[in-house]
Amino acid sequence: MLITIETRDLVRIFKHGDKEFRALDKVSIQVPEGVIYGLLGPNGAGKTTLIRILTTLLLPSDGDAYVGGYHVVRDANKVRKIINLVSGGERPGYGILTVRENLMYYGQVYGLSWGETKRRIEEVNELLHLDEFLDKRLNSISTGMMQKYALARGLLNHPQILFLDEPTLGLDVQNARHIRRVIKHLIEDKEIRTILLTSHYMAEVEELCDIVSIIDRGRIIATGSPDELRKMVKDEIIYNIDVRLSDIDRIRILRRFRTVVGYTIKTRQLTGEARIRMILSGEDIARIIRTLEEENIHVLRVTRDEVSLEDVFLRLVGRGLEDEYE
Amino acid sequence: MSNRLSWFINRFLRPAFGRAYVRIKGGNREPSWILWEILLPLIMITSVIWAYENMGAPEFFKGFVIIGGAMMSYWYNVLWGMGRTLYWEKETGNLEVFLLSDAPLPSLLLGMALGGMFNTTLRSIAVIILGVVVFKAEFNVDYLPLAILIFILTLVALYGVGLALSGLHIVYGRMGVRINELLDEPIMFLSGQYYPISTFPMALQYIAGLIPLAVGLDGVRRALLFSEGIDALWLHVLVLFILMIVFYPIGLRILNKIVERGRMDGRLILRWI
Repeated sequence: MLITIETRDLVRIFKHGDKEFRALDKVSIQVPEGVIYGLLGPNGAGKTTLIRILTTLLLPSDGDAYVGGYHVVRDANKVRKIINLVSGGERPGYGILTVRENLMYYGQVYGLSWGETKRRIEEVNELLHLDEFLDKRLNSISTGMMQKYALARGLLNHPQILFLDEPTLGLDVQNARHIRRVIKHLIEDKEIRTILLTSHYMAEVEELCDIVSIIDRGRIIATGSPDELRKMVKDEIIYNIDVRLSDIDRIRILRRFRTVVGYTIKTRQLTGEARIRMILSGEDIARIIRTLEEENIHVLRVTRDEVSLEDVFLRLVGRGLEDEYE
Repeated sequence: MSNRLSWFINRFLRPAFGRAYVRIKGGNREPSWILWEILLPLIMITSVIWAYENMGAPEFFKGFVIIGGAMMSYWYNVLWGMGRTLYWEKETGNLEVFLLSDAPLPSLLLGMALGGMFNTTLRSIAVIILGVVVFKAEFNVDYLPLAILIFILTLVALYGVGLALSGLHIVYGRMGVRINELLDEPIMFLSGQYYPISTFPMALQYIAGLIPLAVGLDGVRRALLFSEGIDALWLHVLVLFILMIVFYPIGLRILNKIVERGRMDGRLILRWI
């Protein structure tokens, strides 16, 4: 098994005045060739910092990192030849130029000739279906189109290794689905040899990734295939409890139960409901429901569910992926 | 083709061409540039010439103003324009994408400068046409090749200074813009945009000799207005040549150091500073 990306005890510290913030704390990962490798973690976990070090935009404070066999500090230019990065929600480019003109520019930046760039644009066009906006100005296209354009830019230089930082951030369901399909296709058709993807969308990581590392507060806390990770909570039971949004303040009562390993709350403003996703270490649901009702919390529905990566995260970290740091 | 030449063409000139393409294509897509780049500078030039006429200054002063006005816009585009555009590139995230490639940063800056020069050339042509047609300024075109040589050496020397100053924008962000503005007026004063630097005390003339534009402007003026040839202007050519070979490596070294520091402390990709 050929390892294309490797970090060894990677540390990154940001200093601001007297204060220090440890964004990465001895991160060690190994990414084999031919896989989509996911980094799953909440905002501020260190995913983007790690990607920026691997793409040579940022220097590590300590430790080593290799991409395609090259050291990211000592052989930075060799790394840059074989990689590209696409970040979700970013809008790099020149608004006054068309999408095609922007891609022509990036072709020159990547060292392609004018003719090669034109051919390459046609190739990525076939893959991403850019026709409808290829000749529109960049400042006039939608978010979904922008993300397709960003991906096209990322593929222009035939990278061996593609870094995708939150590739579907801010996209609607349909566009996100399309981008995910393309990402899968890139690996299946060997267009790209390896993809390292960061996301805080658990479903995205589950759908796309062969191997997942869960990262939190700069530390890798678990690594494995989605199935292997899910097995980490094989002894627990997952329940979804739907309640009224107005009752949500009193839900802290769940902390009284020893069997409640952890829970996350997702609110649905439109329906006026909230869903509590709960990990139980034992079959205690009847007692929990009874207690909730005694506290005048109106339980609307109770369903048992399969283990997801979010539950793994909750089990390991003690809070949900979308919860803010305390 | 040697590896070095191949690298220079593909990894230096090609990205520079790409960035110049962006500047020229984007700059000319909206016609408002005509107002900023041509009409406003013409008003400035006209007002200075009228002031000289009313003061009864010698006729050749008109030529001074015309050449000063035409060359000063290159100064802005090469020296200040590079840094300002780089700051903008950083804020929009374009710099981050550029730095992901193995193209050297000076190629991006060269592209910005070359692209800026395209519109600047149109401005300069407009200034010269205004001077010749409206104000009847006279130039000796026999010495045009020498003036062009001095002009090109000046631009290359300025490019070296521009590399170093661009780094300020990466590290200091908005403060880099302020530092540029702080340097702007003294350098304008010492370059002698609208008057001959020979009117300065000797000490100031020596200081001005370190500014490529001051030497270049003086050389071009003396060639085109006073019909001085290489026998009189060899020192100008030599000084500019020395400034060129000194400023470029120094500028490059400073820029590389600043970029490295930016990678270390994260400022290279940090925005809104």
